[in-house]
Amino acid sequence: MTLARNVYKALEDIVGPENISDDPAVLDSYRYSLAHTAIHIGPYYDTFTPRGEAVLLPGSTEEVQAIVKLCNKYKIKFKASSTFWSAQGYPSGENTIQLDMRRMDRILEIDEKNMFAVIEPGVIGATLQAEAMKLGLNTHLPGSGCSCSILAGATSYFGSGPSNLYGGWHYDNLLALEWVMPTGEILRTGSLGAGCGWFCGEGPGPSMKGVARGFLGAKGAMGVFTKCAIKLFAWPGPQTLPVEGTIPAYRVSLPDNFKAYTVAFPSWRAWADAAHMIWDAGIGYLAHRQFNMFGRDLKFAMIKILTDPTKTLGDLEELLEDPEVQKVTQESMRDFQIVLAGMTRRDMAWQEKVLDEILRRTGGWKVEAMNEPEIHDWALLYLIRLGHKNLNLVYAGGYDGCFGFLGAPDYGTTYVEEAAEFKREWEKRGAIVEAGGDCMMGPIGGQGGGGTCLWENFTCFDPHDKDSVEGTLEFFDACTELGLKRGWGVGMEKWNAAARGPDGRTPPKEERDRIHLAAPQPSVFRYQHRVKEALNPNDLGDAYYETLED
Amino acid sequence: MALEDFAAEMDRCSQCSYCKWIPFDQVKSWRFAKNCPSIAYHNFNSYSARGRYAVARSLIKGQSGYSDTVRKIVFTCMTCGSCDVSCKVCRYNLEPLEMARELKFRLVEDGQGLDEHQAIIESLNKEHNTLGRPRAERGAWADDLDVPRLYADKAEVLFHAGCRFSYDRELQGVARTAVRLLKQAGVDVGIMGQREMCCGGRVYSMGYRETFTRFAQANLKAWDRAGVKTVVTSCADGYHAFKRLYPKLGSQVEVLHTVEFIARLIKEGQLTFRTAVPLTVTYHDPCHLGRQGEPYVPWEGVEKKIKNQIVVYEPRRPRYNGAWGVYDPPRDILRSIPGVELVEMERIREYSWCCGAGGGVREAYPEFSRWTAGERIEEARATGAEALVSACPWCERNFKDAVKALGDSLQVYDIVELVQKAM
Amino acid sequence: MEEKRAQLVDIVGEAGVIDHPDVGESFSLDHELIPPLKPCFLVRPQNVDQVQKIVLWANETQTPLVPMSSGAPHFRGDTAPTAPEAVIVDLSGMRRILKINRRHRLALIEPGVTYTQLQPALQEEGLRIIMPLLPRANKSVIASLLEREPVMSPRYQWNLLEPLRSLEIVWGNGDKLWSGGGVFRGEREEEWRMGLVPLVGPGPGQLDFYKFVSAAQGSMGIVTWASVKCEVFPECRKLFLVPAEKLEDLIDFTYQLLRFRFGDELFIVNNACLAYILGTEPAEIVALKDTLPAWVVVVSITGGHIFPEERVAAQEDDIRDIAQRFGLKLMPAVPGCRGSDLLNLLLQPSSEPYWKLRYKGGSQEIFFLTTLDKTPSFVATMHTTANEQRYPVPDIGVYLQPVHQGVGCHCEFILPFDRQNRAEMDRTRELFREASFRLFRQGAFFSRPYGIWAHMVYNADAQTTMVTRKIKDIFDPNHVMNPGKLCF
Repeated sequence: MTLARNVYKALEDIVGPENISDDPAVLDSYRYSLAHTAIHIGPYYDTFTPRGEAVLLPGSTEEVQAIVKLCNKYKIKFKASSTFWSAQGYPSGENTIQLDMRRMDRILEIDEKNMFAVIEPGVIGATLQAEAMKLGLNTHLPGSGCSCSILAGATSYFGSGPSNLYGGWHYDNLLALEWVMPTGEILRTGSLGAGCGWFCGEGPGPSMKGVARGFLGAKGAMGVFTKCAIKLFAWPGPQTLPVEGTIPAYRVSLPDNFKAYTVAFPSWRAWADAAHMIWDAGIGYLAHRQFNMFGRDLKFAMIKILTDPTKTLGDLEELLEDPEVQKVTQESMRDFQIVLAGMTRRDMAWQEKVLDEILRRTGGWKVEAMNEPEIHDWALLYLIRLGHKNLNLVYAGGYDGCFGFLGAPDYGTTYVEEAAEFKREWEKRGAIVEAGGDCMMGPIGGQGGGGTCLWENFTCFDPHDKDSVEGTLEFFDACTELGLKRGWGVGMEKWNAAARGPDGRTPPKEERDRIHLAAPQPSVFRYQHRVKEALNPNDLGDAYYETLED
Repeated sequence: MALEDFAAEMDRCSQCSYCKWIPFDQVKSWRFAKNCPSIAYHNFNSYSARGRYAVARSLIKGQSGYSDTVRKIVFTCMTCGSCDVSCKVCRYNLEPLEMARELKFRLVEDGQGLDEHQAIIESLNKEHNTLGRPRAERGAWADDLDVPRLYADKAEVLFHAGCRFSYDRELQGVARTAVRLLKQAGVDVGIMGQREMCCGGRVYSMGYRETFTRFAQANLKAWDRAGVKTVVTSCADGYHAFKRLYPKLGSQVEVLHTVEFIARLIKEGQLTFRTAVPLTVTYHDPCHLGRQGEPYVPWEGVEKKIKNQIVVYEPRRPRYNGAWGVYDPPRDILRSIPGVELVEMERIREYSWCCGAGGGVREAYPEFSRWTAGERIEEARATGAEALVSACPWCERNFKDAVKALGDSLQVYDIVELVQKAM
Repeated sequence: MEEKRAQLVDIVGEAGVIDHPDVGESFSLDHELIPPLKPCFLVRPQNVDQVQKIVLWANETQTPLVPMSSGAPHFRGDTAPTAPEAVIVDLSGMRRILKINRRHRLALIEPGVTYTQLQPALQEEGLRIIMPLLPRANKSVIASLLEREPVMSPRYQWNLLEPLRSLEIVWGNGDKLWSGGGVFRGEREEEWRMGLVPLVGPGPGQLDFYKFVSAAQGSMGIVTWASVKCEVFPECRKLFLVPAEKLEDLIDFTYQLLRFRFGDELFIVNNACLAYILGTEPAEIVALKDTLPAWVVVVSITGGHIFPEERVAAQEDDIRDIAQRFGLKLMPAVPGCRGSDLLNLLLQPSSEPYWKLRYKGGSQEIFFLTTLDKTPSFVATMHTTANEQRYPVPDIGVYLQPVHQGVGCHCEFILPFDRQNRAEMDRTRELFREASFRLFRQGAFFSRPYGIWAHMVYNADAQTTMVTRKIKDIFDPNHVMNPGKLCF
């Protein structure tokens, strides 16, 4: 309750009393545990992001603009988040109000012919996908899954996911956008600013969309994105997913122009060759090394649990003893999942033939156990809807990725075994789940049409268990050390270390400068600093927008 | 259990917000994708399961204290359990519904209950019902029924009417029909009549654990005295209380909802319908019959870890996630009634939207309760159905009131009413 | 001036400095509306160090720089100085293909590399780059991509800048920066084997640096190399034509192909545009215009790498079926045009003279972005305006190029005129001016605002103008880069 009453009242006047709160309990439900997931820092036991001064639920761009202008007047920081998936959407220090964008959740338009949707921040992947499918369209879903805001992934974070390959990375899919800039002015990029509609985000001339986001977004530190257009792509399936099965083993049986295969390879070189051939041939609707997130040793046993509603994690050990499970586990060591979707019968036949030929040329195979109808249909639904992403946390509630080899497949495949072996040794110490060392997952095609992969080695732990959390942190520190020693750079386990420290707050400037000066091009952060000075003169964001003073 | 016993879950809740939506695989539209009325209406995170974990954590750590806002956060939970279902699509070691209930228990224990609920408790203590009506009138619904009263007689099967059917004149024909059907089927059935007491289920969901226990024990004692082996009820709340809550207190009686019994009669050929009921209907799964209507499985055990950090239980813990609720019997009944066409809403079975009457919300937050019902009415309307059918008097009452308030023409039925029309 | 010359000679050598250069004949009618100024020097740097020195020198001496990579003729006025005492930085001498890598389908090229030079080199490695429609033979690949010139194959365009990826940029302040994955420039062969290659366009970090030099008309900085994404060279390739009397009849069919991402090269032209492409001299063009169908969808089908013939056969059958559904015919030839002949033309840069000049010696373009469904209404506006301005409507070439996998559409009107005929020039200029305004008011998005278009678009969007200027101030604080262009 440190927000001055007159300021609180002014904010209340903007959003209405029912849409603002500074009750401590409410504020505590807007803090994020750093003993958790995908924060790319820590984990830090029993540590939370700082409490905001108030939470507001704006209902329109005009309200957001009024809030931001008021924040400028009173020099109050603000942090907007749409679906609050990770620590990045939460404050990093005091004197910050939080904007929960969930009330702005409209799909304003789906342009069926030109294949794009205009959405507000609260629109999640699942609802956009469901509405798009009615029109024979689909949306790319970021790796965080369909529970997350599409706008947030596209504008403010990364937007990469399993369907990059055909659906395009959301960097590419982001068309025009409406942005309440840190000063409260509204920038409408591309065709929107020119009053010509939402179809284009670039221009006129040099594209100011490039200020809104680069490879990554500003993670809520540079104003608030209130609307955007997102490119869609063809969905050659039914208007509604005909889901069957008993929870949680939901599955979908789609027409013959859909197939979800798990393919595996005799060597990592063959794995990489196959990825290149898939991209060169232009087949595939979605490709991802998905289920390996459970761990090389556990993945098929986990799939058996997830596809059988009578089973629980308590069945895991018994399943691991099953020779059939062991055989499939062995067989799918170097695997990935690929969904083929034919736009026509002929298209599907050709894609099937090409995939078979790629497997022949690389010595790869389809993992037959994954073609069992109930497993196949479960995997197909999983990959298309991406509605089970919280299985990332199935074991005990804590996970984060480490290493994170981003680049051509040859890069990741060169080091996968070394990184896996390193993790396997650490698994023996007990702090993290013993899953086989290689828990690497990520897209086959980091961007539209392929070319790159991202290898994130999942590490699961118990956020309630101090030893587990601290042991995981120790492991992540070791990963970073190894990454630096081997020339891989700092892994994703520390990607946000410049933005938040062990106390959940912005790290000291010296620490941030040290990290930025060690980057391959420190000038990138210097330019970001200059952009911040130009567009966010009152510095009302946080260190998630990474800057280095001249 | 105490709230502190959920501390591990509070830490392990991954704040993913799955608890705010129906299972994503089942999302068919933007309009009907939400599952939890509380967060859908109030919007602040705190009103979702993940938020309540956080609020509970804050309270037990002493980081925040009780306030009107906290009470509202806690008591606007309908304990409908939809968060529980969605959470468990991915999680095997969280129990958000149990935690939400425990949070209510804690507030009540700490004297933070709501005045509106306190009035119900007083009615319960004094009149043995939740509706503030005289105890003496409780058996009136069955005055014209020739069935044994089990405070005097004995029977193997007890039909429990419950508070709503006992006093709601507009609805209580359902209870009478149910008893007649049982009798026609040759069942040795009796009722408790004016001595019937509330099942306690509704006050349990408001946070009054001790009161519930008292009533449950009294009921179990009465059943024992009457030699009851089976309890049949047309009330989903009662069904849940008897089926899932009473066994923890030692109950071993078989529990059936009327729909299970009728579906069984139809299947065995003992009940056939002669009259067509030309009506397009949609069926609303009551939370306490559907996702919370799963059979009770006794368990006593401890948490353990495998593979270093995977949290499991020794022995294996039963999993309540809505997989095995009572979903098909009511649908089988509707499909067997000539003329009835069943069209499904988007949110059904384990991921059904609540009617808005649960958890004491109808009594304490009537506007929110009506809004919740209104959402369901709109969903029913979207199917093209002429009638919304349910199998719980609380749902039916809430829908009827909301339909009236909205000026809508949608018909609202208990499934037994359609059975009666078809006989 | 002599001092400046000496300083430039110090940087690029005597041979690298040209006094009072003739920058070539300009074909922009816009120049009569915004008169260009004569540059003082033209310098020809050979490497990034020289470029950097030139830019630093320009900052010290407050000298305007105008980067130029392609050869003449120049059409759009972006390389014509609009500030006095400018120095043209001619990058055409930096024409090395630094690397072509088949596995990563990537080429690293300098700004002077032309399509004429690049395409055969790629083919040797089993690759190709998707091309704009008949670029000039001396057109710089990097300049074309930086200008966001549309490419003929929308299916490969994951964003509007594709196939451009990482860049080496010398900003207007003299700083050098590698955008996207440019820090992995693959100087060592080992790095290419390891996959440490400049595959990524965006970033690095939270700014999208290459977007700031894109369509900037050289006003932000100078690009000294770029990586470009290549496609597999198709072993099997067919081109088909789908004719119609009315443009409206082709729209939904084209949308269906875009939806399925069927076809490789895919665009719509009218008879005049196709005649300018096919014809070699005016009489032939006149005859062709009369012979060719009023509107044609041009669609090629390609197959490469694995089962190419099957791929082409399957897609040919599918597209034929789709055409039939829309009451259209997929044809290998139409009167006046055989698909195979057209394909051969499209795979090369334009022969000389440049195809837009062949009919009357001069040509004015009007182009903008819109969506395909709106193109018929823009065509109607163009025709109405032409009639009002007494410009012959049958001469208006129309080129509709879906971009970004079909989300948008480049709509281009080609207005040939006789450069010896003053009255015709005046009429054409007036048509250009009037039509530009009308189309703009109708919702045409002039995303690449050359000449008078810049005033139009920036005056209408104050916030974009304000932010664009702030960004310019960061990367070119002394405004030495091509001053007078865009909103600067």
